[in-house]
Amino acid sequence: MRSFRYLVKEGFKNVWSNRLMSVASIGVLVAVMVLIGAAILLSVNVDMMLNTLQEQNVVMVYTVDKATEAQAREAFSKVQKISNVASAEFVTQEDGVKSLINDMGDQYKELFEFVDDGDQKGSWLPFGMRVSFKDLKKFDETISEIKKIENIDHVNDQRELTAKIVNIRNLVNSAGLIIIGLLFITALVIIANTIKITMHTRKLEISIMKAVGATNHFIRTPFVIEGILLGLISAIISTLATYGLYTVVANKVTSMSVSVVPFMSVLWIVIGVFLVLGVITGCIGSIISIGKYLRKEGSEFRAF
Amino acid sequence: MHKGKQGIIIRKEAFELEMGQPVIEFDGVTKTYQKGMHALNDVNIKIHKGEFVFVVGRSGAGKSTFIKLIMREETPNTGDIYVNGYNLSKMRRRDIPYFRRSMGIVFQDFRLIPTMNVFDNVAFSLRVVGASNREIKRRVAQVLSMVDLGSRARAYPRELSGGEQQRVGLARALINNPALIIADEPTGNVDPNMSYEIVELLTEINRRGTTVVMVTHEHQLVRDFNRRVIMLENGRVVADNLEGAME
Ligand SMILES: Nc1ncnc2c1ncn2[C@@H]1O[C@H](COP(=O)(O)OP(=O)(O)O)[C@@H](O)[C@H]1O
Ligand SMILES: [Mg+2]
Repeated sequence: MRSFRYLVKEGFKNVWSNRLMSVASIGVLVAVMVLIGAAILLSVNVDMMLNTLQEQNVVMVYTVDKATEAQAREAFSKVQKISNVASAEFVTQEDGVKSLINDMGDQYKELFEFVDDGDQKGSWLPFGMRVSFKDLKKFDETISEIKKIENIDHVNDQRELTAKIVNIRNLVNSAGLIIIGLLFITALVIIANTIKITMHTRKLEISIMKAVGATNHFIRTPFVIEGILLGLISAIISTLATYGLYTVVANKVTSMSVSVVPFMSVLWIVIGVFLVLGVITGCIGSIISIGKYLRKEGSEFRAF
Repeated sequence: MHKGKQGIIIRKEAFELEMGQPVIEFDGVTKTYQKGMHALNDVNIKIHKGEFVFVVGRSGAGKSTFIKLIMREETPNTGDIYVNGYNLSKMRRRDIPYFRRSMGIVFQDFRLIPTMNVFDNVAFSLRVVGASNREIKRRVAQVLSMVDLGSRARAYPRELSGGEQQRVGLARALINNPALIIADEPTGNVDPNMSYEIVELLTEINRRGTTVVMVTHEHQLVRDFNRRVIMLENGRVVADNLEGAME
């Protein structure tokens, strides 16, 4: 379309000739985007932390007391084959005694010396397995699957901790989504109103354009281009601002020996979200704010 | 749709005016803005192709309402209006822009876009119809020299006198070679000497076949340019001096 280039140029010109409003819009959008970026980064980091915690979250599985080592090892191999088991480690009776002493403290060491072991140290203990899971949401099913295996007696699970982790993760994710949603709507409303203010000063212009036979589409396009442009500029500034802020915060946190997700690994998510957000708010904002004026046929514009 | 003389897209109906059919026809038109007072009251008028018509009357007589109804900025409460072969009562909203391209409109307050220079203000009407850049340059230069503003193309409206601004308005109205020009008190904000020049320009355009409807309350102008005069009073046509049109 021949006039499209002209309309795009007009959109660019609008950004400049309404620079005060442009700066205000960009300021608002950047503020909102940085908050959204913070929400994303927070959620990504919480997720990573929970993942680490989850990986460390092992359950102890014990065989029945009378199980022989061969039976225990057979049960162990069955545990390993369960699909949701991430890793499993066989704990011999000797290791069991060691960790028991370790857990109870050295002063009890002598106590265990008196226990009649027969020829095998710790033979009064069951065999154990240290097992970690891939997906904690399937925790209960996996535990009962393990319990069904022959010669398995009981599982020492940390059900509450696991449930807590899953809960926190869900909470962080849904809170993040709600916050992002609310901020998005806020941005939309503010942008629509900002453009509306410029529209107010430009309604004479719109009425003139209508009087010389411009279609609504023709009048609207530069405004939409203007909105999209403001969105894109905001997205770029927001990415830089988010990067800067995150680097500062990450340095502080890392110095307290807590590891954080590197920004570069989420760079594209952040840029993507900002761009989509900027373009959509700019587009919808300008369409909303100009709509009212396009429906009028001119005379309603007049204040003279 | 088809391409007009200037390679400009105008709706086909605009060209289907049959010989002798009026360019503007008001048929029992009444317009009331609010309850009670009629801005226009049972107006019946026919204006034919090639006519030059003055519309006169006191302030509040309904002259601007007459113009707004012609350009379909307002719609009548009762009666029918036909302009350039369009039946305005039956026109869909999305046809309005195409209808407006078939006429040139001149306003008392010029209505130039302040952020555009003279060239762009005049060119806007051509851009709206999708003319090429070459076409735009050629036509705008031609029309600007016609209103004697060839040297002010880069000036902004605020840098021009009232008379110059109105000539820009006139150039914009002419740029699409419309069959009809309507002007609502085009000399209202212009000094007397310039007023004469503007009406001269309108008569010159009219000589080339364009129908002109001009609202004014300057009696001296009307007397000097001996044309058809429609007089409105309280929304009614109280005099229609057709003889003027015969010359
Ligand atoms: N938009 C409007 N809303 C309400 N009343 C209006 C409006 N425009 C015009 N009028 C009224 O209609 C009458 C005719 O107005 P107008 O056509 O502007 O007269 P003129 O142009 O001859 O001065 C006047 O009484 C005026 O107050
Ligand atoms: Mg008036």
